[in-house]
Amino acid sequence: MTLAQERTLASRLRADFPILAQDVHGKPLVYLDNAATSQKPKAVLEALQHYYECDNSNVHRGVHTLSARATDAYEGARDKVAAFINAQYREEIIYTRNASEAINLVAYAWGLNTLQPGDEIILTVMEHHSNLIPWQLVAQKTGAVLKFVELDANQAFDLEHYKSLLSDKTKLVAVVHVSNTLGCLNPVNEITNLAHQYDAKVLLDACQSLPHMPVDVQDIDCDWLVGSGHKMCAPTGIGFLYGKRDLLRSMPPFLGGGEMIADVFLDHSTYADVPHKFEAGTPAIAEAIALGAAVDYLSGIGMETIHRYEQELTLYLFEKLNQIPEVTVYGPQPNADASNRAALVSFTTGAVHPHDLSTILDQSGIAIRAGHHCTQPLHRAINAQSTARASLYFYNTADEIDTFIQSLKEAIEFFSSIFG
Amino acid sequence: MIWIELATDMSLDNLRDLYQQVILERYKKPRYKGTTDPVDRHQKGHNPSCGDTIELTLKLNESSDRIDDVRFEGEGCAISMASADLMAEALRHKSLDEALEMVYKFQSMMRGEDEFPKEHRKLNVMQGVAQFPVRIKCANLCWHTLKAAIEAAQSAEPAGYVSNE
Ligand SMILES: Cc1ncc(COP(=O)(O)O)c(C=O)c1O
Repeated sequence: MTLAQERTLASRLRADFPILAQDVHGKPLVYLDNAATSQKPKAVLEALQHYYECDNSNVHRGVHTLSARATDAYEGARDKVAAFINAQYREEIIYTRNASEAINLVAYAWGLNTLQPGDEIILTVMEHHSNLIPWQLVAQKTGAVLKFVELDANQAFDLEHYKSLLSDKTKLVAVVHVSNTLGCLNPVNEITNLAHQYDAKVLLDACQSLPHMPVDVQDIDCDWLVGSGHKMCAPTGIGFLYGKRDLLRSMPPFLGGGEMIADVFLDHSTYADVPHKFEAGTPAIAEAIALGAAVDYLSGIGMETIHRYEQELTLYLFEKLNQIPEVTVYGPQPNADASNRAALVSFTTGAVHPHDLSTILDQSGIAIRAGHHCTQPLHRAINAQSTARASLYFYNTADEIDTFIQSLKEAIEFFSSIFG
Repeated sequence: MIWIELATDMSLDNLRDLYQQVILERYKKPRYKGTTDPVDRHQKGHNPSCGDTIELTLKLNESSDRIDDVRFEGEGCAISMASADLMAEALRHKSLDEALEMVYKFQSMMRGEDEFPKEHRKLNVMQGVAQFPVRIKCANLCWHTLKAAIEAAQSAEPAGYVSNE
């Protein structure tokens, strides 16, 4: 089976990812764990190599040529990220280690200093632990109260329940754009619009949307957005926080150190303007530059193109999975064009526990995730102790889905055969 | 069946070692699920990264130095649940000291360094797990929990979870 857009996309682009051309346990690698981290194209690997071979130097510190080159490349990558999400100003992009650090930055710099006892933070039951625990810590310290939007009958964001939680007490809505477990695409424009009617701020966890579809912060109008580079073709160790410029300026620093200052005296200091106010110490320079290369690579393909192809993959994946009676999938079924969800699926099979399934599939070269995917409260809500998850990217093919489905069926048969 | 046709395949041979019939049978039809009566020791254990949990109860003899019965409740993969069931069976009528020695023996078996003598050879079906380093903690969970149960002060109160990571 070859999907309509595959010839023009996956088959052409796979060659850009050296890691995909290997055998695991004697079988061609089928990498279906992209929600955990994506693979990296040559362009990104070369950007890292080039930086260390030609430009390595500290940024913003030297007047020598290498330092100027490193600084230009580092700041240039910021422009690329800003353009990628259509931020109005380049200063609205703050580099962090990952999305978790970006959320913690907001929790500590804004949350701890702003929230009062009785103020309410609205989250959802589907949040990744990264967008839950920082708010639990903030709530414990400030006396703010956490409220949780539940799932609707399709195991997607319950908009009506959300509306019922909003009030004048709501100060923050922190919500995932695409759930890393349910795969549902949340109605973030509506979520933001409603929150703003109550003067609440909105933080969007875009880890699972940024790599897969166009994301426009001005259109969504969120106040903050976080992303992790390693899920969108960039290396580990680099992520970013987007924040509206005035809001970022109003926030006190998070970490103190070099790079983030204007003037330092023994007893006090003044701080640099954003974004540098939030980038203390020598940053992950090579990784930031490589994030710029990743964004170039993705934009070169076109996020619209990637998204359309992944919608086709989603439909094919669900068509096949839905034919296996033992399989229970979580999250909403795709609609006609799969515009309501991402190309990832969490599921269980009656017979085979997710860990056993993952071990069995691994022996056929197929990499999937098993466990709670850092969404333990969600797993409680859907009444599953753990699930298996296959998550796709634009370099995956219909043939790989076939291989996965075939091995899944064999595993179920193997476990069931013991008792006939 | 496809599985059998592919028997020459190395990786499938490993799988067959891992998921021996005994293991799958114990997973599907455990013999030692439940709670002892009375509960002389009670210990919960879990693997936080994967979510597997186990709750172990022990019934001891009158002088509290020998195990009369072991039962477990829990949720997890075939490896962790079968391991618990086999462990419960092997522990009956063992002294606490013997049980502790078995913990260490099991752990070295998981490193591929040891195996059980004839008397406990049933436990040796877990040897295949040693080929799958990421799954060793599944097999070890119940033994790790047992160790905590034995070492805990005499109490029937669950002393919180011990983590196997
Ligand atoms: C939805 C979501 N949010 C947050 C994170 C955390 O990302 P990181 O671990 O890179 O900070 C992840 C990734 O695991 C995720 O899928």
